[in-house]
Amino acid sequence: MTSASTNDIEFRSVAKRYGSVTAVSDINLAVPKGAFVALLGPSGCGKTTCLRMIGGFEQPSEGTVHIGGQPMNGVPAYRRPVNMVFQQYALFPHLDVEQNVAYGLKQMRPRIAAAEIARRAQEALEMVRLGGFGKRRIHEMSGGQQQRVALARAIVNKPKVLLLDEPLAALDKKLRTAMQIELQSLQRELGITFVLVTHDQEEALSMSDLVCVMSTGRIVQVGPPQEIYDRPASLFVADFVGKTNRIAATIDAGTNSIRLANGVGLAKPASANGTLGAATVALRPEAISLVRDGAATLQGTVTHRIFLGSSVEYSIDVDGLGDFLVTADRRSLDESDLAEPGERIGLSFDPNALHVFPA
Amino acid sequence: MTKWYRENAPITADKLADELMRLKRGSVTRRHFLGVTGLGLATAVLARQPGLFNSAAFADDLGTQMSIATWPNYHDPATFEAFTAATGVAVEVNVFGSNEEMLAKLQAGGTGWDLFVPTNYTISTYVKLGLIDELDMSKLPNYDASTENPRFTNEGIVDGKTYAVPKNWGTTGIAVNSDKIKAPVTSWKEFFDVAMTEADGRAMVHDYQLTTIGNALVSLGYSFNSVKPDELAKAEELLIKVKPHLYAINSDYQPSMRATDAWMTMCWTNDGAQLNRDMPEIQFVLGKDGGEIWSDFYAIPKSAANKAAGYALLNYLMTPENAVKEHIANGAPTTDSRVLKLLPAEVTSNKIVYPDEAALTPLEFGAAVTLTDPGRAELMARFKSA
Amino acid sequence: MQAAMNTKRNLVTAALVAPAAAWLCVFLVLPFIAMLVFAFGERAPEGGYQAAFTFAQFANLPTRAAAFWNTLVLAPAGALLCLLVAYPVAYYLAVKANPRYRLILVSLVVVPFWTSLLVRTYAWMYILGSRGVPNLLAMIGIEDVRMLNTPGAVLLGIVYGYLPLMIMPIYVSLEKLDRRLLEASADLGARPVSTFFGVTLPLSLPGVTTGVALVTILLLGEYLIPQLLGGGKVFFIGNALVDLFLQSRNWPFGSAIAVTLVAVVVVVLMVAMRIAWKVAGTRQVDLV
Repeated sequence: MTSASTNDIEFRSVAKRYGSVTAVSDINLAVPKGAFVALLGPSGCGKTTCLRMIGGFEQPSEGTVHIGGQPMNGVPAYRRPVNMVFQQYALFPHLDVEQNVAYGLKQMRPRIAAAEIARRAQEALEMVRLGGFGKRRIHEMSGGQQQRVALARAIVNKPKVLLLDEPLAALDKKLRTAMQIELQSLQRELGITFVLVTHDQEEALSMSDLVCVMSTGRIVQVGPPQEIYDRPASLFVADFVGKTNRIAATIDAGTNSIRLANGVGLAKPASANGTLGAATVALRPEAISLVRDGAATLQGTVTHRIFLGSSVEYSIDVDGLGDFLVTADRRSLDESDLAEPGERIGLSFDPNALHVFPA
Repeated sequence: MTKWYRENAPITADKLADELMRLKRGSVTRRHFLGVTGLGLATAVLARQPGLFNSAAFADDLGTQMSIATWPNYHDPATFEAFTAATGVAVEVNVFGSNEEMLAKLQAGGTGWDLFVPTNYTISTYVKLGLIDELDMSKLPNYDASTENPRFTNEGIVDGKTYAVPKNWGTTGIAVNSDKIKAPVTSWKEFFDVAMTEADGRAMVHDYQLTTIGNALVSLGYSFNSVKPDELAKAEELLIKVKPHLYAINSDYQPSMRATDAWMTMCWTNDGAQLNRDMPEIQFVLGKDGGEIWSDFYAIPKSAANKAAGYALLNYLMTPENAVKEHIANGAPTTDSRVLKLLPAEVTSNKIVYPDEAALTPLEFGAAVTLTDPGRAELMARFKSA
Repeated sequence: MQAAMNTKRNLVTAALVAPAAAWLCVFLVLPFIAMLVFAFGERAPEGGYQAAFTFAQFANLPTRAAAFWNTLVLAPAGALLCLLVAYPVAYYLAVKANPRYRLILVSLVVVPFWTSLLVRTYAWMYILGSRGVPNLLAMIGIEDVRMLNTPGAVLLGIVYGYLPLMIMPIYVSLEKLDRRLLEASADLGARPVSTFFGVTLPLSLPGVTTGVALVTILLLGEYLIPQLLGGGKVFFIGNALVDLFLQSRNWPFGSAIAVTLVAVVVVVLMVAMRIAWKVAGTRQVDLV
């Protein structure tokens, strides 16, 4: 465990229960200063509860949450050096844009001079490129603009940590991509810790430098995005973070090979480690190449083809293994590169791309 | 306001229920809560269903329904039931709080009353406004002018024509709780003096210009009925001076007197008799410096829809055997010597109901001019708003 | 095409509004016009109305200045006192109360409305009268306390009588309040008190304004409670009107006062709406 001084946020054996229902348990997490961490998981996994415990809206039933090395148990939200961008933004409808942004500054004790408040609010608005919108009413702003007002409002107090609760969920895809980039550059500019809660794995992978995958109230894997994707710690992670093909397999003791359910034997992949006997193997769709070669490892029949532009997704009925998903990059504009539904085709991949999990 | 009288009002406390039943029937107080209800339009239908048999004498022309406007708790309900049984005519009773209200209703029109009970000083105004008819005495065989006290019948005769016949008379005096007030109260002058001293915060005056202004005038040595601006100005000065010391300006004084919230009030004869009967410490005195004597009359509105039934009921009420029950019920003195003979001795010997003639001498009948005089109305308004 | 659609929409609007409009016309507009006509007339010698065209009635208004003053002070003061009592109750019901019991608690607020205000006010006469609270006080040695027929009793009656009318609109606006706004406020460093004054109160202002306007307007016409609990010693516009129509039968003057009262109500409403818009910062303020 890293020392407190270099961690902005630490969960130490935290659990949160509501009556007899356990929302999260056994949460241990250290977020280094200046990191962009994503809490990723399906709805109900406890990620929002964790975020709310940082924000001070919930108190842990067990364990402690530390912010900047200080234990925060019993410290109310208004005394915490963190600010939050709420889902659907929670902007104050009775205040205009500038007043929303200035709200936090006005709470400061000792008080800040009005002119200084106005200057800093303006600065924050410019930072989110809403310089001329200060006098607008909230309901006159578009979804993306409201998003940025919420951001400006949350950063104006210069928090140690910025919490973001599904901040992009309400935006359309194009705006979402743009905001992802904007958030990343904002984080670099401010140099503070960002904690992002999301159920969108793409968002988590693309924006953060530390991903914490959660499931049913527990942390199942913490690591940099690439590691999460490439070396999922469990079948759940493999499934949730990106798409995957599952294959039933057996690893024989003694031999250095793995036998798939259809009898095809392959060299044992590095990830198999000591696993023996029945196992489940995960294989990423993009790790598979389609070859018009009868000698390929696996053979199958194309059932569906989904054209995505830069890539093509195939559904392939693999002999003896059932449905496979294969993502093929387009290498040329040549029509003949595309396999046709009904076509017999070979699937080839590096055995080391297989992730082996005990069944 | 009819809610006030609704039979099934959800009340739990016995006390409250009693009081409300009292109010429902029409309070024991007369002309009361005019200020409360605004319109005392309480309507109690005492007998709705037509009689099973119709008396042959009236069968054709009486109809099945009639309506009377009167004062709260002023009749024996059995009287109307008996009338319905005899004639088949159901009687609807409308209860009012003040003569002014009755006049306002009749002026506005559409009352549907076939008989009503105005007070003496209003009758000439009703005649002048053409709101009542001269009575056809041939339809009132049971009325006997010769047995009536002319002191009271006179007020019902205008220009030699009889427009109304008396129901009963009464006085406006002072009710005093002798447990609470030791100072003598025998005149209106003493009433106002004590109201500002020993009875500070415990005295009540009526929410009624005639008696409140009239008694203030009397206490200053003027006529009960004065409309002279300088005399009214003096009365106003007195009333405004006494106002901060008053418990209330309200004609519904019985509850406050019974609860001993109030210790002294302007009071009508029948209320005085009832208060004294239930709480002997409450005494009823007439001002030796003056005050009001009054009589209530029966009259038939020009707009009556069922005049035949109006006459029939009036004739029925003029029968001494029927009238005596009314007097026992409401406690007010009678104007008819035939009735007086039938009344039990304990009623006729009650000095509250039948005071000595000497006590009545300084009293005055209300004058018609007070009913319509804008100066008195405005004085009352200024007094209340002061 | 566009025109046809507009016509249809107008017809639908007309159909929806017609019944209420007809009702208002017959029972509000026409009587009001009659009142306007009366207000410029004269009192007939025996009372009532006689045709004339004079401003005398309006010139006479100052004689009821005290009644206007009492009413214009009592109405807002009573409404504000009512607000002070109602707000915490509404806040408790909407924010703090256990949701499981909320409906029961809210209906408890409404239950008194099933009984006539007259009857409930009459009950207070017994509670405050000698046989009520003063009697209890006498038992512990505090003698001769008079509660009934005091300004305090009137204020108590007003607060009691109009409390549900104040609680309900505030409750509704507080219940609609997005809890995340409160969290956002706390998150931005606002203490609970600052959150209340910075977020909760302004956002419940439409309810507050509705309640205050509603209670104020009803109080402007109040005469029952002062009459019963104040002993009729304080004269309000309501009492003035009752006296003028039923006692002195001065219809023209009564009409002039009534018309003036309506004008005052309209002004009060407009001011209230202006304030609500300004503070709530939105045009979506529902009044009455």
